[in-house]
Amino acid sequence: MSAPEIYPLATVPITSHAFSADRSQVAVSFNSEEAQILTRQGPEWIPIETLAEHDKVITSIDWAPKTNRIVTCSQDRNAYVWTETPNPVTGEIKWKPTLVLLRINRAATYVRWSPFEDKFAVASGARAIAICSFESDNDWWVAKHLKKPIRSTVLSVEWHPNNVLLAAGSADMKARVLSAYIKDVDKRPSGTVWGEKLPFNTLCGEYSSPNGGWVHSVGFSPSGDVLAFASHDSCVTIVYPGPTPSIFTVKMNSLPYVTLTWTAEDTLVAAGHDCHPMLFQADSSGWKAVGSLDDVTGSSKSASGFSSPSTPSFPGRSSTPVGRLNNEAFNRFRNADSRGTSGSAALQAGLGGGASGPDGELLTVHQNTITSVRPYDYAPDGTVAKVTTTGVDGKLVVWAVSATPGSLAGKLGSVHLRH
Amino acid sequence: MNNWRRIDIDAYDEDVVHETDLYDPDPRDPATVANDAKQKATQVRSLISRGDIPAALAAVLTDAPYGSQFEDAKNVSLSAVLLILNSTKSTDIPGIVKGLSQDEQDTLMKYLYKGMASQGTEVNGSVLLGWHEKLTEVAGTGCIVRVMTDRRTV
Repeated sequence: MSAPEIYPLATVPITSHAFSADRSQVAVSFNSEEAQILTRQGPEWIPIETLAEHDKVITSIDWAPKTNRIVTCSQDRNAYVWTETPNPVTGEIKWKPTLVLLRINRAATYVRWSPFEDKFAVASGARAIAICSFESDNDWWVAKHLKKPIRSTVLSVEWHPNNVLLAAGSADMKARVLSAYIKDVDKRPSGTVWGEKLPFNTLCGEYSSPNGGWVHSVGFSPSGDVLAFASHDSCVTIVYPGPTPSIFTVKMNSLPYVTLTWTAEDTLVAAGHDCHPMLFQADSSGWKAVGSLDDVTGSSKSASGFSSPSTPSFPGRSSTPVGRLNNEAFNRFRNADSRGTSGSAALQAGLGGGASGPDGELLTVHQNTITSVRPYDYAPDGTVAKVTTTGVDGKLVVWAVSATPGSLAGKLGSVHLRH
Repeated sequence: MNNWRRIDIDAYDEDVVHETDLYDPDPRDPATVANDAKQKATQVRSLISRGDIPAALAAVLTDAPYGSQFEDAKNVSLSAVLLILNSTKSTDIPGIVKGLSQDEQDTLMKYLYKGMASQGTEVNGSVLLGWHEKLTEVAGTGCIVRVMTDRRTV
């Protein structure tokens, strides 16, 4: 188990990140209307280009690996497709934007390229998902809307590997699987476990969150036969479709997850307000959380009493049991108030988890909510070997995914892991 | 305020989200549920007198009435839960809380918050806070988050 690679990119939140195909560059947005392209130079990431065209905060970025195109979407209700174009005079290659006609009247929240990279889906607050495809006659991207039966803001989308089905997580407490079949782009898809006939806007599945939490994140398994979603009621739900779908719910003791990604057919990584990525795995008895990718026990050795046997504790939690007044945090705020001493980013983070160590830093690598987890590197057998996370603390972290619960259990050692 | 403030503008909105769209309502008949709640309250009293707190708690936390049409049953159930909470020795609380299933823990947390919000004479703030602390130690912040998001209020 190698240590995570940690890159503090900024002191401001990172709203979204997307790597280039060869992982030498990353597109990130620092909670502003501009996106940065960073390139790797030794242990650092150096900004080389700014994508400036939006006029409100960029909410999501995706980088198509095969066609090398970037798509960004923003609260300004627009999306742009960026392509590398040589300057006709100087020959210098720059990213040039093309406007997409989204026709939505609320902010765009999330964007993802389809697997074949000939379409992309833009989720929005307009109770709709815009499925965008390229119209070569007019040389622009046009959108077709998935509207029914969405009742609220769509927070995330994910494509099925067949390029036709789309999963969507929404603030109406439901995760859905819909058909985004576009006649001129797609070949007629063969039947899947989600359905046989799939005209545009077919609803193939609709699943409620177990305790009324809005659905933050959705994901298809690598085969596309299983759907997982994370909701704000601190639950991760895994759905195996069929005439009688079997649905597994893992209720967590921790704060909710806001992002997840599958790493193999029976494992996924979820992360969120708890500030550390958690590995979930299926076995014969169902799904469960097997451990954190963040070696919180190692970093917590300096924190006295962190894993004293009598007090229940779990990753990301400090010596202060949950439910008690966290004096550490309390004193920091009192000092900030009476003496005007300002805290680090951990101060704000400490609010949610109350899990600060002696110096006020969280015991986890990320010092605040993780907003995005994405696959980074693949093992020879096709499973995801590494994932990247970015969060509100401005850090980019590359994690090794350990799919063997044995080694994780050993690593976690004395930490109680309950779910 | 003027009259226009009293117009129910939602009635003119085709897309309006109703409360029933947010959760699946309890299919049971209000009268049956009210009866069940009363029977459970009696059962709870006899279990408490025998000192079997875990059984009393399990009885009242199973199929707890939720939703807007069961106000009577909900109040009866809350009284029953408060009776249990008030008659438990504080040293017994951690063991009892650990013995509950995850769903029962979530439901108990709902009653704790409902108890804190109500102002009846049977409400004892320090008792509720004691239970809340022990329950949070076992069920974590996730349990509290679930109470906050769940529209199926008890």
